[in-house]
Amino acid sequence: ADLRLSHQWSDNDVRHKVAQIVADEVAAADVDLDIRIFPTESLFKAREQYTPLSRGQLDMTVLPLSYAGGQQPAYNLTLMPGLVKNHDHAARLNDSPFMDAIEQKMAEDDVMVLVHGYLAGGFAATDGCITKPEDMAGLQTRAAGKSFEQMLAGAGASIASMASSEIYSAMQSGVLDAVNTSSSSFVSYRIYEQVACYTPPGDYALWFMYQPLLMNKSTFDGLDEAQQQALMAAAEKAQAFYLKEAKKEDAESRRVFSEAGVEIADMTAEDFAAWQELAKETSYKAFVEETPGGQELLDMALSVE
Amino acid sequence: MDPLLLGALVAIFTVVVLFSGVSVALGLLIVSAGFLIVFDGMRSLELMPEILFGKLNNFALLSIPMFIIMGASIASTRAGADLYEALERWLTRVPGGLVISNLGACALFAAMSGSSPATCAAIGKMGIPEMRKRGFPDGVAAGSIAAGGTLGILIPPSVTMIVYGIATETSIGRLFLAGVIPGLLLVALFMAWSLYSTWRSGDAAALTARSYSWRERVEILPRVLPFLAIILGVLYAMYGGIATPSETAAVGALLCLVIAMVIYRLWNPADLWAVLRDSTKESVMILFIIAAAGVFSYMLSSLFITQSIAEWIGTLDVNRWVLMGAINVFLLIAGFFLPPVAVILMAAPILLPIITSAGFDPIWFAVVLTINMEIGLISPPVGLNLYVINGIAPDIKLKTILVGSLPFVGCMVLAIVLLCLFPGLATWLPDLVMGPRI
Amino acid sequence: MASHSTAAAARAGDNPFLRAVAAISTLAGWCAAAMIVAAVAITCQMIVVRFVLNGSTVWQTEAVVYLVIAATLVGLSYVQRMRGHVNVDLVPLALPPGPRRALCIVTLSVSVAIVAVMLWYGYEYWHFAWERGWRSETVWAVRLWIPYLAIPVGLGLFLLQLVADLVAVILDIDKPFGLEDA
Ligand code: NA
Ligand code: NA
Repeated sequence: ADLRLSHQWSDNDVRHKVAQIVADEVAAADVDLDIRIFPTESLFKAREQYTPLSRGQLDMTVLPLSYAGGQQPAYNLTLMPGLVKNHDHAARLNDSPFMDAIEQKMAEDDVMVLVHGYLAGGFAATDGCITKPEDMAGLQTRAAGKSFEQMLAGAGASIASMASSEIYSAMQSGVLDAVNTSSSSFVSYRIYEQVACYTPPGDYALWFMYQPLLMNKSTFDGLDEAQQQALMAAAEKAQAFYLKEAKKEDAESRRVFSEAGVEIADMTAEDFAAWQELAKETSYKAFVEETPGGQELLDMALSVE
Repeated sequence: MDPLLLGALVAIFTVVVLFSGVSVALGLLIVSAGFLIVFDGMRSLELMPEILFGKLNNFALLSIPMFIIMGASIASTRAGADLYEALERWLTRVPGGLVISNLGACALFAAMSGSSPATCAAIGKMGIPEMRKRGFPDGVAAGSIAAGGTLGILIPPSVTMIVYGIATETSIGRLFLAGVIPGLLLVALFMAWSLYSTWRSGDAAALTARSYSWRERVEILPRVLPFLAIILGVLYAMYGGIATPSETAAVGALLCLVIAMVIYRLWNPADLWAVLRDSTKESVMILFIIAAAGVFSYMLSSLFITQSIAEWIGTLDVNRWVLMGAINVFLLIAGFFLPPVAVILMAAPILLPIITSAGFDPIWFAVVLTINMEIGLISPPVGLNLYVINGIAPDIKLKTILVGSLPFVGCMVLAIVLLCLFPGLATWLPDLVMGPRI
Repeated sequence: MASHSTAAAARAGDNPFLRAVAAISTLAGWCAAAMIVAAVAITCQMIVVRFVLNGSTVWQTEAVVYLVIAATLVGLSYVQRMRGHVNVDLVPLALPPGPRRALCIVTLSVSVAIVAVMLWYGYEYWHFAWERGWRSETVWAVRLWIPYLAIPVGLGLFLLQLVADLVAVILDIDKPFGLEDA
């Protein structure tokens, strides 16, 4: 059988490599299963993959799950400030009742997870460092994700929405003062050329985005036993690789920014607590209001040690 | 079926369908639907409206109607004539000042309009009769305006550059800057040819212009101010930290509409509606082609044709300049028949991986591609600018316009050769202003 | 293809159906133009809010994108009526009147078919979004059936105008491809 996997990244991105591992392993298993990868939005645009996935027009995708938060509000918890503290915590979340609840939502849309994975990110600003909420006041900023926009607006920042590809020139010309995005975007868009200070994800980080490899459930169920086992075995291998690489990317962004002469700031435990306090008033509150059963889901996520 | 064979089949069907006289956008949808049904199953059809909507769901596309409104609102006033007249009064001492004024006015107007026919019409309405009255050969008068008008898509802002930037995910700000120096180079080449051919044809009288008093010269200056205000306003918004390039287009559109209404008294609702109607018509036409080309490229990618062609060319192991030559011939032929936007959208996803893996710069390539499209605008069988000139000056035979334009095609080919020899002509300015490439 | 800027609107004659469709398409054209103007205004407002007032711009980008999409889809029928969709008319020009008319009927029929299919699936997609209460993934959280409504409405109007064009050619009220006899 032929399966089609679509994603938005170039072929040197870690998320492409995760997909490639699954494709290679399945091919090596020789179970008459061929996964064809369509990278760089060559089949579907990034935010337009979930609907065809759930309707079986696309077989697999690697996707920031929060992109589909408009269809399943529960997914907004997978990009919520302060919910995940670091990568090991993220890995524990993947095995928690919270993730079971999220997977139940996916099953409603005929979607299942093959590979779990989180990527982290931080802040950068053109003058001064951003470690605590007070640092954001009055800055024009671009945040990655709705919940972050709500929290940063609560911190007194002004929110400008634009594509990540426009960040560099917007910072250069002064349209933006600060930006919040993933470690890999910070490096690949060469943001270090335009900023004075960078707050990378470290022992404490706010920005974690869940970006799993998903599959259409009916398609999976339609495969034979050997094919399903080959896929699961490949997925397990890819997941271990994903976690290792995610940690590496944070370290890499820290190295690249400091080598470019950018000041590096780290968030302390108190800073993290202050952000979380702010998030409770802003993004958590908004989430609970718009999501049926939202409080319960949020508590489940917060209870993971 | 082998994807390459399938690709050839798609190419043949696309040509047949487009030549049937169906509109370009619907033709692309028909071809896509046909191949999707046969090779991907009926289910793919379900996706078509979704993809159509998705391709339009892009903030950068906003700038297309905006830049079209800029050109259309100013073109509906006498601003183009003012601009041309002012240049003429000041350049009168220069040999051949009139044709130089016309080409200069085309270049300046191009700096405000994103489309070539608009540039052509705005300057040509005044410029062509004036040149003919003063004894320039019909061919030079018509050809220089037809060619000068094509600068609309090379000198920023440019609708085709926006489309290229979206199709290839390259920075639109950078693409705009890349067109500036090649645009000026083309203006210089056009001027040189016009002067040489006028001199050779023995109409030397045309080269000695009438003289203007200093009073007449100073008098006209205020009438050029609106132009300067618009161009500086847009540049400041774009590179001065106020707005992103896509947002700047809206500033330009508003500025042009306000200036047209306040300074040029474009108050009459019927006239205003005419501007909006024409802008809407052109924008919807272009945006629908963009959406339909999105479905077309989904089909090509889904059937693995795009990827296979790129792989296949990679294995050919030909000299990169032979490759570039072949690509240019392909673009030229496509440009003879199709509007630039359609060519870019159909060709970019296939060509971009090929040219980058051959070591060419995508920003530089955008300029080469745009000049190819400019050639298509003044060459048979369907050069849009030729017909615009035909509309402005109906008593000049289409054949005369065509023959008069041909030497300018030569200038454009020369410019492509120069760009191949000195790629810095395109890349130096964007790198200087925006820093080295990401 | 080049004839698009000079050709006149499709002819409706005295036929009440054709005249009604023409009026609807013209109204759609006004709506499309109004939406483009609104997009200009909102973008300028956004720049002022951000640059002058240093405030947040939460809804503007999204609103503008939806307006331009709606303008495009709703404007399709008007542009069809004004013969603004470019085509390559070399072959039709070269054909004698009989075959030209036949070719025109074929191309219009196929166009009607493809637009009808897209209208069907477009309606289904819109209905999907409406039924499931999809929202956009932004702070503004627009109910997506509102912008998606442009798909069935725009394609429906477009279909209507294409059918009218087909009828006009069959009844000899309008010339095939809008071309005058040479
Ligand atoms: Na231009
Ligand atoms: Na042509």
